[in-house]
Amino acid sequence: MHLFPGRARTLESAIGVLILFVLFITAAGVYVVQQNVNMVRFGMESQQQKGDFLTVGKAEMYDTDNLYEKIDGKAPMYQEAGFRQLTTQRYVSGKNSELGLELYQYDMGNTRNAFSVYSRQKRADAVDLNDLGPPAFGYVSGNAICISQGKYYIEMIGSSESAELVDGMKSMVKTLAAKLPTSEKDKIVELGYFPNEGTVTGSWKLQLDNAFGFDGLNDTYSALYKAGDKTVSIFFSRRKNAEEAKAVAKNYNDFLITNGAKVSSIDSEPLKSAGAAVLDFYGNTEIVFSAGVFVGGIHEAGDKQAAEKAAEILIERLKTIND
Amino acid sequence: MTEQNHINNARRQLLIRGAKAAASIAAAVAAVYWLNDRQGPKKVPDSFFAQHVELPDFSVPRKDGQTLSIVRGGDRIKTVDKAIELLGGIERFVKPGDIVAIKPNVGFATPPILGATTHPDVIAAVVRLCYQTGKAKKVIVLDNPINDPASCFAISGINRAAGQAGAEVIMPKESLFSTVTLAGGSLIKDWPVYYQPLAGANKLIGIAPVKNHHRSAASMTMKNWYGLLGGRRNLFHQDINNIIAELSMMVKPTFVILDGTTSMMTNGPTGGSVSDLKKTNTMIAGCDMVAADAFGCSLLNLKPADLPYLSIAEKAGVGTVDYESLKPLRAEAT
Repeated sequence: MHLFPGRARTLESAIGVLILFVLFITAAGVYVVQQNVNMVRFGMESQQQKGDFLTVGKAEMYDTDNLYEKIDGKAPMYQEAGFRQLTTQRYVSGKNSELGLELYQYDMGNTRNAFSVYSRQKRADAVDLNDLGPPAFGYVSGNAICISQGKYYIEMIGSSESAELVDGMKSMVKTLAAKLPTSEKDKIVELGYFPNEGTVTGSWKLQLDNAFGFDGLNDTYSALYKAGDKTVSIFFSRRKNAEEAKAVAKNYNDFLITNGAKVSSIDSEPLKSAGAAVLDFYGNTEIVFSAGVFVGGIHEAGDKQAAEKAAEILIERLKTIND
Repeated sequence: MTEQNHINNARRQLLIRGAKAAASIAAAVAAVYWLNDRQGPKKVPDSFFAQHVELPDFSVPRKDGQTLSIVRGGDRIKTVDKAIELLGGIERFVKPGDIVAIKPNVGFATPPILGATTHPDVIAAVVRLCYQTGKAKKVIVLDNPINDPASCFAISGINRAAGQAGAEVIMPKESLFSTVTLAGGSLIKDWPVYYQPLAGANKLIGIAPVKNHHRSAASMTMKNWYGLLGGRRNLFHQDINNIIAELSMMVKPTFVILDGTTSMMTNGPTGGSVSDLKKTNTMIAGCDMVAADAFGCSLLNLKPADLPYLSIAEKAGVGTVDYESLKPLRAEAT
């Protein structure tokens, strides 16, 4: 009885060695591939071309729970304005690898929330992007482009101010804006309540709550207004009814006085008859009034005469909206 | 060959194969033993309670008239050098053989041009001073950016600058945190703090940029210690003034540097546009971080009263808001 014939043993050994060799090669292959994983091949991360740019890494997503991980101390501002989700993605220029950008796309839940964070952060040197098409708002500031469209607030932060980069970013943001869903509902009609003449286009701001430090003043729209050669800040907030508007105007007036404002004389007859209050607040003029369902006024004006003129025009304008 | 011989041969083969199989199993077990991480990932709560610590006191004795320096100029390397020189030079603070920890603000993965993080030029200059003049044995650079520390250190330029100057950049990981309770504090109680790298150092230098901050109005040297906190530290944003004051009570640095070469005037602490920055051409160094930040307010067009945490820290004995009382040393560095 030949239990282990020599020939069979040799064949068995050869097969064993072959299997071990295949396993070794497989393990080595896995090791090498793991050192340089291209997730694109696995459909988990795609390096995509966006205009002149290529994506770098995968998109990151943040919700209300972990937004602070990305923007730390700025998170509360977004969260208080209805933030829902942030998606970020880094890009590098396909033409010049020294140039890159990071895209921040905030889902703010609705148009007003998005416009509020957009307008409150708008830079002083902003150059408006006028060809995004309504209802989008957008501007360029140095190395950054910011837009508000529908429920989205988008920041595109470039790694430099180079014209090559910023031009590429402009092109990219237009493509992006065109793809975002919009509807007639996204139009912020309140921006049309400001006086047609004199209001500085693009200077609009929406403070959802706690406007000018007063917690009774919410949903407050403000804008710069040119009264002659002076520029003042005008504002209004629409209330449920005229009674509420009167009450809020009185409370805001009381708040200013509590914080050091002094009642000032009123030179304007229309303001007197409208029951407006004119206050001196540490050298600046504050005016507050109610006009129908609106609370309105002037904030921190350096010139009292210009402030009163602007207030007269704002009251007249708001009355037409009430009508 | 007899049948008995065949049976013996088969038994021998069986024993040999059995021995080989046993050797293979033993080798596999040995490999597993060798590869095994015996400690494993530390369970955070257990490790916190197991290691309840206090931060060392890194301060040096005060010298009247050499507590605060303010240097004007746009070249960070020259101004930081001059600011330290006015305080008595790096030799006053760093002794041969010292292990120096540097805590910059590396909170965001943004490039230096945005001013949201400590400028790498200042880090490099201070590291070189510590080694070349102070004769430090080792310099480490640490911060706990919550969002992908590797990206924050790389994109801010701090990883490269510190490394080229010879410092070791420490990346945060759970095992480097320990629980700290601040005596007399109401917020820092059993809270994870980036302690382990500091435990091995004997000097600590804080280096922060001047920034507007949405929640605290300003982020400077005192707010910079926020980056030593672990856990869900965003909870403290609800009580931002008290947490900054408590951090200044918890951390006793050797000295601090406040870089106001450019200041983030708006949209802080992230900024985003270079338009948020203003050239303010000032470098401040000091052993009193309350005084340094009180002066820093002026660069942001703020008053010390606009930052409630300054007066809270002053009452706690951390320093003085009245920085002029320290007779700050002033100079130009051009």
